[in-house]
Amino acid sequence: MIPVENCFLLASLVFLCGLSGVMFRRNLIMVLMSIELMLNAVNIIFVAASRNLAQVDGQVMVLFVITVAACEAAVGLAMVIALFRRYGTVNTEFLRLLRG
Amino acid sequence: MEAFYFVPELLFYILSGLILLSSVMVVSARNPVTSAIFLVLDLFFVAALYAKLDAHFTAAIQVLVYAGAIVVLFVFVIMLLNLKPEALRGIRFSVGEAVVLLITLAGFAIVGSELARTAPDALAPGNLGAGAIELAGGNTFVVAMRMFTAFLWPFEMASVLILLAIVACVMVAKKDKVLGAAHHPRGGSAE
Repeated sequence: MIPVENCFLLASLVFLCGLSGVMFRRNLIMVLMSIELMLNAVNIIFVAASRNLAQVDGQVMVLFVITVAACEAAVGLAMVIALFRRYGTVNTEFLRLLRG
Repeated sequence: MEAFYFVPELLFYILSGLILLSSVMVVSARNPVTSAIFLVLDLFFVAALYAKLDAHFTAAIQVLVYAGAIVVLFVFVIMLLNLKPEALRGIRFSVGEAVVLLITLAGFAIVGSELARTAPDALAPGNLGAGAIELAGGNTFVVAMRMFTAFLWPFEMASVLILLAIVACVMVAKKDKVLGAAHHPRGGSAE
């Protein structure tokens, strides 16, 4: 039996990886990939808790999270393409239209 | 295979190490294509972890949807944009970033201490252990039963969300006739 705390620790570390990617990378595509990492960390927690509690609701929630992640990736990449077509860059340092 | 019997749950720890390693590589690789490949690796290892945790259907969906669809979309866009490797800037914390990291670590500490304090049985465990799931017809059957009864409404909402995402993608990514890119000179490079 795998201790559920170890799964939570693993998920926290993967989540921190994704968070640092969102914070420190300047490429929009890298930021989107880091968001996928963070969603994946949440899924690990769902599955581990579902097994620990002897029920499958967590696994059903993982399916919904994967659906939302797919939608988010598709819309995000469409926005990246639109931004690149308009400004010629996907570097977040140059895309500061909403920064006061 | 002998080692798996001597060291309990050795496979779990190997998978954890591989997941962490590939996550770090995803975030730290300079070339976006390298990152995408390591993202595929990471998702495969996580799928193996799901299989180890008896979530077989979730593992299959993870490989099909994540590695098969989402990362392919990423690679496609990376190739379409023809990005150059990014010059990594050093770790310089701004005040806002330091605050975000501190709040996240504090949240982890709170959740972790709370989990350590509460007994696991306080969380109302169900009756679907590994043996019960086998008896009921397997993981996929049990998940499907749950999904199409208790979670039917969220399931239908997910299909509406996907339809919305399709429409949004087409609207965002299509060429704008009025405010076309021709009026805006391209500035900067794709670094």
